[in-house]
Amino acid sequence: MVTGSLAAATLAFIWLARKVSHSGPPLPDTQASLDKTAKNQVEHIFDNEFREELRNRGRLHFEKVIGENAMFLQQDLRQTTAQLNDYMRGEIMRTLQEEFKKYEQSISDAKQIALQSIDKTIATIDQQRDFLESQLHTQSEAQKLRIITQFERAMASILNHYIVQALGDQIDISDQLDFILAELEKNKADILEDIKRGA
Amino acid sequence: MELKLPLSVIGPGEISRLQREITSLEDYFIQAQASKGEGLAPPRLSRMLDELASTNKVNLLDRKARNDTRTGLAKLSETSPTIHLSFAADPPPKALERILIWLRENIHPNLLVRVGLQPNIAAGCVLRTANQIFDMSLKSRFASQQDYLLKLIDGALNERSQ
Repeated sequence: MVTGSLAAATLAFIWLARKVSHSGPPLPDTQASLDKTAKNQVEHIFDNEFREELRNRGRLHFEKVIGENAMFLQQDLRQTTAQLNDYMRGEIMRTLQEEFKKYEQSISDAKQIALQSIDKTIATIDQQRDFLESQLHTQSEAQKLRIITQFERAMASILNHYIVQALGDQIDISDQLDFILAELEKNKADILEDIKRGA
Repeated sequence: MELKLPLSVIGPGEISRLQREITSLEDYFIQAQASKGEGLAPPRLSRMLDELASTNKVNLLDRKARNDTRTGLAKLSETSPTIHLSFAADPPPKALERILIWLRENIHPNLLVRVGLQPNIAAGCVLRTANQIFDMSLKSRFASQQDYLLKLIDGALNERSQ
């Protein structure tokens, strides 16, 4: 922009100088002197001071443009950064949510499997317990019955033995005669049969 | 000669004793005949032999009667059925006599009985023939009634547990 301004100013000056010089037919000497004068005037107008000023103006304008562009660039950068941040945040959130969902699903599946396994284990343990309980009950009943039977037999044997020992030979055979004769009478047929067979 | 056994003759032991007595009586008569009766004391006859002679109306002074009796005893010893009766204690003679009467009236008139002891039968008797044993003891009665006793014990136990 600065360069454009400078070029426009130069062209305007040249056009003005030519206008002035073409106002009448210049003489050859005059022409030469006019050229020389113009040249001097140009050098006089565009002296170092003017050039420095133009340079300063250009610098300032350039700085202004640069500043404005930098501001725009900064804003743009900020906006881009913010968008990028939002995008990154969104992407990260989405990814994290997906991962969390997967993780939750995995945990849920593992939990389900663990619960099923626990249920099966509980059912198996219950079955085993029921089986053991019934087996134990059967065995204990059998053992109880065996002990009672054994006890009863032992008790009967003890009682018999005790009575036989207690009676010993204390009962007079005379007192037993009725019993003996009754028993003989009861076995009479068998005894007779046996005696006949023996004879 | 068919002899009838008195109740004092219980078993084969008594038959043998009677045979020995008749033999010694016979010996006495032979010796008395040889020595003309000098210095010889007549043998004492047992009550059993007396009863045998009186039951069968036998004159033991008669040689033939003695021989017949001896022969009859030998025959009885061989042919009479013998049973074995065991008691818990020695039976009194009167009781044994009643049993013998029953046996000779109901089983066989010349039945011989060997008497034995079996203290563990408590009461009653065990009769053993050649082929069989008739356990008529209290012990056997207890054994046969054991199921009833078991029922009683069982009932008592159940009553207590309730």
